[in-house]
Amino acid sequence: MDGHLLLEVVTPERKVFSAEVSELSFPTAHRGYYGILPGHTPVMTPVGDGLITYVQNGQKFLLTVFGGFAEVGPDRVTILARESETPEMLDATTLTVARQEALQRLKEAKGPLDLAKAQADLDAAEIRSQALPH
Amino acid sequence: MASIQDIRRRIRSVKNTQQVTKAMKMISAVKLRKSQDRLVAMRPYATKLHEVVGRVVTRFEGGSPVPPSVLAQAFLSPREENLIRVVVVASDKGLCGGFNANLLKAADAFFLEKGNMVAHLDVVGKRASDWARKHRHEVAAEFTQVTLPDLRKVALEIAESATTQYAQGEIDALYVVHNYFHSAISQGPRVIRVFPMAFGAAPESNAEISHLLEPDPNNVLESLLPRFIETEIYRALVESSASEHAARMSSMDKASSNAQEMIDKLTLNMNKVRQAAITNQIIEIVSGAAS
Repeated sequence: MDGHLLLEVVTPERKVFSAEVSELSFPTAHRGYYGILPGHTPVMTPVGDGLITYVQNGQKFLLTVFGGFAEVGPDRVTILARESETPEMLDATTLTVARQEALQRLKEAKGPLDLAKAQADLDAAEIRSQALPH
Repeated sequence: MASIQDIRRRIRSVKNTQQVTKAMKMISAVKLRKSQDRLVAMRPYATKLHEVVGRVVTRFEGGSPVPPSVLAQAFLSPREENLIRVVVVASDKGLCGGFNANLLKAADAFFLEKGNMVAHLDVVGKRASDWARKHRHEVAAEFTQVTLPDLRKVALEIAESATTQYAQGEIDALYVVHNYFHSAISQGPRVIRVFPMAFGAAPESNAEISHLLEPDPNNVLESLLPRFIETEIYRALVESSASEHAARMSSMDKASSNAQEMIDKLTLNMNKVRQAAITNQIIEIVSGAAS
């Protein structure tokens, strides 16, 4: 494959990422991950929570994504994310704190709503820490 | 004629006022930049989302069966407008020229036209809630002292409750009255209808691309439309915030230059009075010596 895809990730707060990539995959809300190569059939689909993986010059990179919407075309992929970060935007110490806080809340949760919120925060922290460079 | 002492005192007091207006101008400039950054950052998102929704919606207008979800129907086959919800977005503080006055005039005009249909009124900003109280409009929700990072939460709250209300048939349309940010020197009130939304034709260049909607059209619309509503409201709030700071900046700039003008005038006056006093004294001495 010598084709290239223009990957754009935008959130309401900022343009997170915009560059040419050779392949990528992103999580969907309904059935696992979508892997996209240049020349893909046009698709629109809701995006789930997880990691976007993209390949640039043979190297793999990660982005986090939380909810939103993807529009896939033959030569471009636009992801309108609710939230998204590059690893550079994340900080290991704040993540650890967020994770512990979520765990604490999970233990003390009263009612299913609290529980779900705490679980979601914990999941988000987990996803973010996976995106951090090891 | 006022004495030199009096004029000096006045100059000092005007100078103090000028310092305050200058400081306020600086603060507004910084805040304007923050709001404007946010606005610039979200515009690509909003435009993209608008495009995507437009493309999906026009697809269904082509005769495909309308999906059963209520929200989708709101966009595709709107109900007749009998009950509407309005969000009036003003500022918390004054001293920003015609910002609030113009906006509330626009809100008055809107109420004159559709006031009898308003079923639910939200106000953002203290000035808007004062206005509602003065005109005895019933306010359902009030958002005051909202900081810039919290605007998104407010937008989400309004969007969620509005969609629920639509689904339950309590409202048929959602309007937002806010200040639109053209540039740092030009802002103006604007009324937008967030939904149901009238879309023009899909962009020509993309007309032939027909996207697969995965997993199914209903699902796609279901996740797309709430986001769209939220973004439109958020955008209105951010525009209003940028407009407010821009308006305050320019009115404080005007106030500072007015103060400067006044100081110059008073200084001139003071010098004249002083010169007159000196001349008087010389005349007295000369005429005293001559006699």
